[in-house]
Parts: sequence; C-alpha cells; structure tokens
Amino acid sequence: MKYSENQFTQTQVDEFGQASAALLRQGAQNIPQGVKDRLYAARMKALARRKPEKILIQKPVLAGSARNWTSGSNGFWDTLGWIAPLVVLVFGLIGIAQWQDDSRINDIAEVDAALLSDDVPPDAYADSGFMAFLKNGPLSDADSSSDLVHSK
Amino acid sequence: MASAQELSDFLSGIEQRAFKQAVYAVRDDDAALDIVQDAMIKLAEKYGDRPAAELPLVFTRILQNRIHDWFRRQKVRNAWVTLFSNMGKKSDEGDDFDPLESLSAPDDSEIHQDGAQKLEKSQLLQTLESEITKLPVRQREAFLMRYWDELSITETAKAMNCSEGSVKTHCSRATQTLAKALKLKGITL
Repeated sequence: MKYSENQFTQTQVDEFGQASAALLRQGAQNIPQGVKDRLYAARMKALARRKPEKILIQKPVLAGSARNWTSGSNGFWDTLGWIAPLVVLVFGLIGIAQWQDDSRINDIAEVDAALLSDDVPPDAYADSGFMAFLKNGPLSDADSSSDLVHSK
Repeated sequence: MASAQELSDFLSGIEQRAFKQAVYAVRDDDAALDIVQDAMIKLAEKYGDRPAAELPLVFTRILQNRIHDWFRRQKVRNAWVTLFSNMGKKSDEGDDFDPLESLSAPDDSEIHQDGAQKLEKSQLLQTLESEITKLPVRQREAFLMRYWDELSITETAKAMNCSEGSVKTHCSRATQTLAKALKLKGITL
C-alpha cells in the first residue's frame, strides 16, 4: 500500500489503522506465558470481586390500601391520592375566608342600619360637642340608671 | 446485565490487548500488569452489572484513567527521587555503576528458529510497536482505541472525553507519523 508523502485521506488512514491493528493483534498473541498466567490470575481476582447482581424484592402491600382496589395503572391513583386532599384543603381555606368576609359585612350592615334608623342623625356622632353632652350631660346619669333598671 | 460468564469472556478476550496497550504507554511489563489488574477489578466491582455491550467502552475508559493515574504517581515519585538524588550526589560520585549491565537483551531466540517470513513479520511488529510507543499520548490512545479496540469515532470521542473531530485529527496525525517512520526504515504496510 502506497501513501502520498504528506496528506492522507480518511480511507487511507482507516486502511493503515486496520493493517496496523491486524499486525498488533498477532503480536499480542505471542506474549510470554508468565504474563498470560498473571493476567489469568488478575482476571480471577476481578471476577471474585464482581458486583453482586441486584435481586428484585417485591414491596409488602398493606391490606385495604388504594393498591388493592385499583387493578391497573397505580400511577394515576397514587397521584390522585395526594392531589385530592390538597385540593380539598385549598377550597376549604377559600370557603372559610369567604364566610369570614360575609359575616364582617353583615356586622357592619347591622351597625349602619341601627345608626340610620335611630332618632339621632348620624352626623351628630361626628360632632364633638354632642359626644361631650352625651358623656357629661344630664342624660348620661339617666341613661345609666335606666340601663340598670332594664338589666334588673 | 452482563452475567458472570459474559464478564469472564469479555475480560479473557481483552486482557492481552489491554496489557499490550498499557505496555506501549508505560513501557514496563510489571507496571502494565498492575494497571490491567486494577482496571479489571474496578470494572468487575463497579460496573459488573452493566449490560455486556457497554463493557468494552467502560473498560477502555477505566484502563486509560489507570494509565494516566500511573503517570501522575510517577511524576510525584520522580520529583522526590530527583530531590534526594541531588542531596546525596557528592557521596555517589565514586560509584562506577554501569546501566548497560542491568539492561537485558530482547529475547530473539525464537526468531532464528523460524523462517525469513516470520523474522520479517517479527521485525515489522517490533518496529511498529516501537514507533507506537513514541507517539504522543492522545494520538496513541485515539489510534489504538479506534483501530485495535475497534471503537467507532463517537465511542472513541466519548472514551477520550473530546470531540469527534479531535479523534479524527489524532488518528490522522498518528497515521502520518507512523507511516513516515516506517517508510524511513523501508517498510510499507
């Protein structure tokens, strides 16, 4: 086989490589017996330390668990098993928040209704003089005494 | 998953090639044997449960990593040896140690017994192996994995942790260097 001086094509490289490998393979078979023996011993040593094969052990399944009544793809039911409680929890929290909002609005509405339906106009409560009159005026004692009477 | 028998067959088929590749890299039979043994044990211990088809690539990677580790250790060891040899240099000056005395000649008795064809092949192999050991590390790795281990370009790139283009370049350069060196000695493959 002749090659040009400087440049090799990929085919020529492959041909040269294969020819060299064939020669090297022949050479590898002629290694001394002592080396062969040591290689054999090394191989035996390696095989003795071989990684043990994995043995498949089936997991124990509890009676009454979801796996028993779902015969088929457990993946979906497993996913549903942990998603469903989460969904229930989220909707529950939203419901509680909604209920609290409603009850607060109702309380405010009751107060507003009481104020609007009272004899005293609502603006009067904003007047500081009227508030002082209610606290310190003659009606304050009468109110407290009448409250006592009602409580009795 | 590779059975014990498959793993044994794989190791038996690859051990001599692995040994030669380690020898090309480290140029020391004992060190090469240690490297191959380590690589075999690592493969069996850590990857013994892999499918049989994956074993060649995994083993090649382990072997290359072991060779690189050996060079790293040698570098550290050489640094210490150099340090201590410099310290004790004065006392060793009178020593007339001749390194040639400890150099063993290659055993070529078998060559003379066979015919001219075997001699030629043996010399060719010796020359090729000698030139392969002189290649830069990455070129040698790519060349041997690609053609001796018969890994594809993609597998070689994966084992060497580089791009496919780099593998092609390494192989091409290795081929050019080897072909040129052989041609200087009047050999064409």
